[in-house]
Amino acid sequence: MRQPRWRKLLRDGLVMAALAAFALTVVLPLVWVFVTSLKSSPEVFASPWSLPASPRWDNYARAWREAGIGQCALNSLIVTLATLAILLPVGSMAAYVFARYPFRGFRTLFGAFLGGMTFPLFLTIVPLFFLLQALGLFDSLEGLTLVYVAYSLPFTVFVMTGFFQTLPQELVESAMIDGCGHVTAFWKVMLPLARPGLLVVGIFNAIGLWNEYPLALVLVVSDEIRTLPLGVANLMMTEHYQSDWGALFAGLVIVMGPVLAVYWAFRDRIHDTMVAGALKG
Amino acid sequence: MRTNNRGRAWFVAGFLAPATLLYAVFVVLPVCQAFQISLYRWRGISEQRTFVGLANFQRLAGDEVFRQALAHNLAFLVIGGALTLGLAMAIAHAIHGNGRWARLIRGVYLFPQIISMVVVAVLWMFVYNPSFGILKASLQTVGLGRFAMDWLGTPGTALPAVLVTFVWHAVGFHIMLFSAGLRTIPAEVQEAATLDGADGMLRFRQVTLPMLFPVLRVAIVYMVIGALNVFALVYLMTVGGPDRRTEVMLTYLYEQAFKHSDFGYGTALAVANFAVVMALSGLAMLLLRRDPTEAKA
Repeated sequence: MRQPRWRKLLRDGLVMAALAAFALTVVLPLVWVFVTSLKSSPEVFASPWSLPASPRWDNYARAWREAGIGQCALNSLIVTLATLAILLPVGSMAAYVFARYPFRGFRTLFGAFLGGMTFPLFLTIVPLFFLLQALGLFDSLEGLTLVYVAYSLPFTVFVMTGFFQTLPQELVESAMIDGCGHVTAFWKVMLPLARPGLLVVGIFNAIGLWNEYPLALVLVVSDEIRTLPLGVANLMMTEHYQSDWGALFAGLVIVMGPVLAVYWAFRDRIHDTMVAGALKG
Repeated sequence: MRTNNRGRAWFVAGFLAPATLLYAVFVVLPVCQAFQISLYRWRGISEQRTFVGLANFQRLAGDEVFRQALAHNLAFLVIGGALTLGLAMAIAHAIHGNGRWARLIRGVYLFPQIISMVVVAVLWMFVYNPSFGILKASLQTVGLGRFAMDWLGTPGTALPAVLVTFVWHAVGFHIMLFSAGLRTIPAEVQEAATLDGADGMLRFRQVTLPMLFPVLRVAIVYMVIGALNVFALVYLMTVGGPDRRTEVMLTYLYEQAFKHSDFGYGTALAVANFAVVMALSGLAMLLLRRDPTEAKA
């Protein structure tokens, strides 16, 4: 039944060629965005493959200042950090109770949180638009932040519940024998132990928040509080008239650069968390 | 002991309260309101709402644009889904191991999944750009320059062009799922099958695929959700055009609610979208609840 050697070689060669083609399809467009972000507009038009005669870093300066991408980046940073600052403690507190304190109605409440991981976001978009207006939170970074916290809770609670279940119970018990209450035991003993889980959940959420588009599109209208995805989408529409393509591509790099860097640094842990979340069963 | 128990109850309630409150106000309440608003005629940003019962849904049933949008979503699901799952399965299989290529690809295959959908959309608009895009330049390089055209602006090619982008974005997520599934198959099972003479396609069909079945079921449900909830890609690349040839349910919803201020009808579209997602993912679960190859074995 053994195959002749040349057939195995041929097959391995074909598989390798196909994989190389796939890797190029993924990476080449991203490299192209970066190279194009350093070109002048005439160079962009001349040929997509050519390298810039000299790198035009001023594309980034123009994108940052004149096109307002700098302000957008700042807004995105504020919203992302503010969301994490509320989400991580609030989500961990709920997750800790779900993991360690069985109570009546547990299944219903936990199920309600998990249900949020898969239902379509657009079901709530019109009510949310009016709810934020009624609460005086429409078109504000505060409103966007609170909405982001609420919509990030399901995944965060799910992953942190799993994480708290893996921590040894004896530590809490000994802390409570030493006179700690439930609250102190959580803040002083369990939360510090959960730091690795918080880190990966935080990074994973940060990537999603930095990238988020549909909610921001509906809930934000003023130019000054646009987030990065809104800013770049807007730049694309206006550049159709001004054709400063270099600045637009610089904007794209500003959106995806930090995400790719963070992903690369934590790729194994992000990967494992995504698998755990996706195959929750 | 008594006070201890009461302390426990307060602790449980207090720790659950902030998350539950935020979730109830910004997620659960709007979900309930959505079903309510879909029964009203509500135009403009005023308090004037008229209860119209199921009239919005009757209008929806006869709406030619909605029918087209639904058909395009199903094209994303069937064509995009088949391409995505087929490619993802093949690649996951090929990188299962520890070769140099396998390790390289494990590092990069999630890139399209983790960058913003806005970047994906704008990037691919430039791939398809009729004056300086990558696709035109590639065709010219291999002497097929005469086939270059405005892919996104031409009715016949706009949907396939967006579909390719959809697959490019989605394939990484499914490679991830299938890779995780493949790692759960014990190496001995594969080896035993090889010793029995099953190799290549035969081993894949008889051993790997049945063991991957639970993961495949999950992947199909994610595909249903993803394909029926396409928004940013279409909205940014074509705004549903040209001539509604790429319109999908959610871009139509956005147009009705936020461009035409027809909030009642827009919300009815959202409820319909939700119902289709639920029906199709439920159907997928039902059809795939058992491994079809099990009976044969």
